[in-house]
Amino acid sequence: MKDIARLDIPAYCQKSVTEVFATMLSMDAERFDVGSEDDLEGERVVGSVSFVGAIMGTVSIHMAADFARMATAAMLGMDYDDVQAKEEVHDVVGELSNMVGGNLKSRFCDDGFPCSLSLPSITTGSHFRIKCRDLTRHDRFGFHCQEHTVIVEVFLKEGSC
Amino acid sequence: MSLKVLSVDDSKTIRMIVRKAFSPFDCVLTEAENGIEGLACAAKERPDLIILDITMPIMNGIEMLSKLRGEPQLSAIPVIMLTAESGKDKVMEILKLGVKNYIVKPFKGEQLIEKAQTMVKLEPKVGEGTQKSGGHSKWFALENQIQRLTVPDKVDRVTLIEIEGAFHARMKEMLNSGVNRLILDLSRVKEINVALIKLLISVIRSCQSSNIKMRIVGNPSLDKDLKELKETSEVPIDSSLEDARAAL
Repeated sequence: MKDIARLDIPAYCQKSVTEVFATMLSMDAERFDVGSEDDLEGERVVGSVSFVGAIMGTVSIHMAADFARMATAAMLGMDYDDVQAKEEVHDVVGELSNMVGGNLKSRFCDDGFPCSLSLPSITTGSHFRIKCRDLTRHDRFGFHCQEHTVIVEVFLKEGSC
Repeated sequence: MSLKVLSVDDSKTIRMIVRKAFSPFDCVLTEAENGIEGLACAAKERPDLIILDITMPIMNGIEMLSKLRGEPQLSAIPVIMLTAESGKDKVMEILKLGVKNYIVKPFKGEQLIEKAQTMVKLEPKVGEGTQKSGGHSKWFALENQIQRLTVPDKVDRVTLIEIEGAFHARMKEMLNSGVNRLILDLSRVKEINVALIKLLISVIRSCQSSNIKMRIVGNPSLDKDLKELKETSEVPIDSSLEDARAAL
């Protein structure tokens, strides 16, 4: 019997995030437990992709705007000060969430939950939380990365197809 | 005649990574943001190689590939597909379309070039960084079977791409001619920035994977900074070229 509660989301997320950050940013990401109320302070950039199919939901990667700019510089081989355009930062954060989400989607499919992946979307602002109604499983992880914190949230429920 | 490469991806980031990966080679790169634009570019440019993302708006990579395969004049163009999904279903879907070459994201530019080289012949770009004749560029000098790479005082994004490209071409020459020692001369460096760190990591990893013995030459303050970085902390650092040569 397939049950989303049995999916090893912590392991999938850890592998995916560490691999994506190491390969694309040359940065180590170390997972730590984060409380449900712990959050990033100040302006942040969030990249999200959604799953639709036998499993429904979304994975979001939250990072401080400053770290998002740093990640953009690392991914594009630029100096931090040369990163000026928000579009570049959004594109990089979107691509990172696409890679992490694509990896999770592949694991879900292999575990018997075929689904499709959406294009990435970007949310920016400060002091906000993302909530997904009617989704039955919520996982939340923190990653230490170059003295910054990245929060990864996964909301899921079983789909109808 | 330069090789024509078409990069089709909705992400500017990925297109930039592809552009950077091919920059050391004699290629003309054309870019498109989705499958429809990609098909139009392919028909107009007749590229020798297409780097095609799967997940794109308007027309995705799978649809574009199907249409490409249906056009007699374009069907034989080799394609490398990029996908963020490595699940069995996606792999089967790609294989059914006759694509044997795909890369699962995340990926490094080097992986893309390795894959491309199995499909097309990539020639190093003739320029100030690299010379087809095997001559030495302004950054390289071979002395007593020790290769020296002298890094300029400031490394920016453009210099990084140029040096990396020249270095990888030079590495091949070194390996072919049995040169297995390298000095990375940082004595002129005035500023440590992201581009320089990326260059150092790239050179160190390449040397490690090819069993090339290397030493870094730098001043004491650089020595301190590099020891603090995980990737550079284990490479021996000397204060002069003479010391580095003697140690090698």
